[in-house]
Amino acid sequence: MKKNIAKYYPLVPVLAAYLVMFLMGKNMSGMWQLMAMLAFYCALGQAFNIFLGMTGYVDFGYVAFLGVGTYGMALGITRFASFEGLGIGIIIIGFALALVMATLLSLAVGAVALRLRGAYFAIATIGVNEGFRYLIEGARIWNGSEGIIFMAEMNQAFGRELASALSTFWADVMVFIIAALAALVTIYYMRSKIGYALTALREDEDAAKVMGINVTKYKIIAFITSASFAGLIGATSWAIKTPYVFPPEVFEIHYTVEAIIIVLLGGAGTLLGPVVGGLIYGLSKYWLAVILPGFQLLIFAPLIIIIIIAFPEGVIGLLKARVKGRRLGTFIE
Amino acid sequence: MSLLRLENVTKKFGGLVAVDKVSLEIKEGELIGIVGPNGSGKTTLFNVISGVFPPEEGTVIFDGQDITTLPPYKRAPLGLGRTFQISRPFSSASVRENVAIGAMFGRLAHKVSVNNSLEIADRYIDMLGLETHRDKAAGTLTPVEKKLMEIARALAMRPKLLLMDEAMAGMNPKDIDDMVKFIKKIREEEKIAIVSMVEHIMRAVAGLAERVMVMHQGAKLIDAKTEEALTDPRVIEVYLGHPPDQAKWRSEIWKKERDNNG
Repeated sequence: MKKNIAKYYPLVPVLAAYLVMFLMGKNMSGMWQLMAMLAFYCALGQAFNIFLGMTGYVDFGYVAFLGVGTYGMALGITRFASFEGLGIGIIIIGFALALVMATLLSLAVGAVALRLRGAYFAIATIGVNEGFRYLIEGARIWNGSEGIIFMAEMNQAFGRELASALSTFWADVMVFIIAALAALVTIYYMRSKIGYALTALREDEDAAKVMGINVTKYKIIAFITSASFAGLIGATSWAIKTPYVFPPEVFEIHYTVEAIIIVLLGGAGTLLGPVVGGLIYGLSKYWLAVILPGFQLLIFAPLIIIIIIAFPEGVIGLLKARVKGRRLGTFIE
Repeated sequence: MSLLRLENVTKKFGGLVAVDKVSLEIKEGELIGIVGPNGSGKTTLFNVISGVFPPEEGTVIFDGQDITTLPPYKRAPLGLGRTFQISRPFSSASVRENVAIGAMFGRLAHKVSVNNSLEIADRYIDMLGLETHRDKAAGTLTPVEKKLMEIARALAMRPKLLLMDEAMAGMNPKDIDDMVKFIKKIREEEKIAIVSMVEHIMRAVAGLAERVMVMHQGAKLIDAKTEEALTDPRVIEVYLGHPPDQAKWRSEIWKKERDNNG
């Protein structure tokens, strides 16, 4: 029994990091927005890591799942705001819609694209977010290019005060919770047959098949899990926090690239990696925007190239190799 | 009852017939060698049996079930294990995890948990003498150690039939002899049929197999008792190129030619 609990020790530093970030944001004046931004990047990394890190497949259309999650919450709030007495239940409906929509989209994309290998998969997914954006705009689904603005519905459903608290505080708290949940699912996968199957297929897909692993099944499991968390992040960070949604904003490939950077920087396939990657990326982006506004991308691009060449395993990958076998090693995964 | 039966199996790559109407029967617990020069279709035959690609013609029957078009991941749980000519470890995972993956998704997949699998892995790691490498990343092993690890991983699948592709390539004669002993022992203990495929290390085949199938240009040349097969003039011709007397005749002509040219 004790051994079984010890398997989950690597969660300790992850959850501790989130707790420290939360407490710092809550108790130090002016820090909340920064911590909320960092939590968003950590959550994004944690969610994407379940797919990118564990399978080694790069999904360039990943932001589409955040996008449909945003729409899920927006639709939930706009369609159900007029029902009396639902109260906070509307948020739950919104989350459910976000989850269902992200899952359905990931099933549709996965069923086609996951038949492709490596680089071909990456290329096939590049168009997903753009395609979805043009579908919404062109077919005028969900208000088309005008987007949905639902500040009024939020106020109507929750009252002005609660709506404001939801946007400025609770949305960020939910991001922390989603990040922690994604970490929990990650370690659960790592310690179960799913994780072993994913490791095997990441290293050698053909050998994995011959060893009896149904690689398509496990890739789809990782893909759907990762996409569902993306949907939840979209539903909070991009919907509850900012009560409007415009197609060009939520299907912007820029966020996929950020997610890839965070996962690789921290260490793909590790549990603590996305936290470290999210913190490094978020903080450096923040400081560069303060010191050299407008130049942050110009400086960040070569910086990232250097880091990825110097530590291809990511920060945590490197650390893990160092502390292996030592007592500290049981906490780093 | 036969464990594996191939009936007129043909596999083509474009115009190249890699495996040409091969029939083969393997009984439970049998030890068979497949021999043939480079390019004779041995590995392709293994790939057809393990399901990497389906054959164009013929049927593959394993344990009474037609598996001709079954994907490879459904074959492993039936009891088909294999090792690869060029080792294919899951490099970033430790040796222990590699072997455990075999146990986890092999024949007893539905019965064993992750913890059971790791225990099973330990047993096979000890059996192959890899104790000191247990927690090393598999990618850091030497080629021979990788081969041993692959054998442990395949055995952890608890197969009924184990296909070994050039398991002894790159080993020195003493290691080969040890390996031959080990394979015989494992066959007795685990009651599995073993097909060992070898290109030219006859030392390994002669000491190991009860029966040998020789392949040449994709087709079955001979399938007989080991001694009979390896001394067959046709087999010698395949390896040395020409019948002995003809070869001698050619070498004399060549010698004359050389002398004339000074």
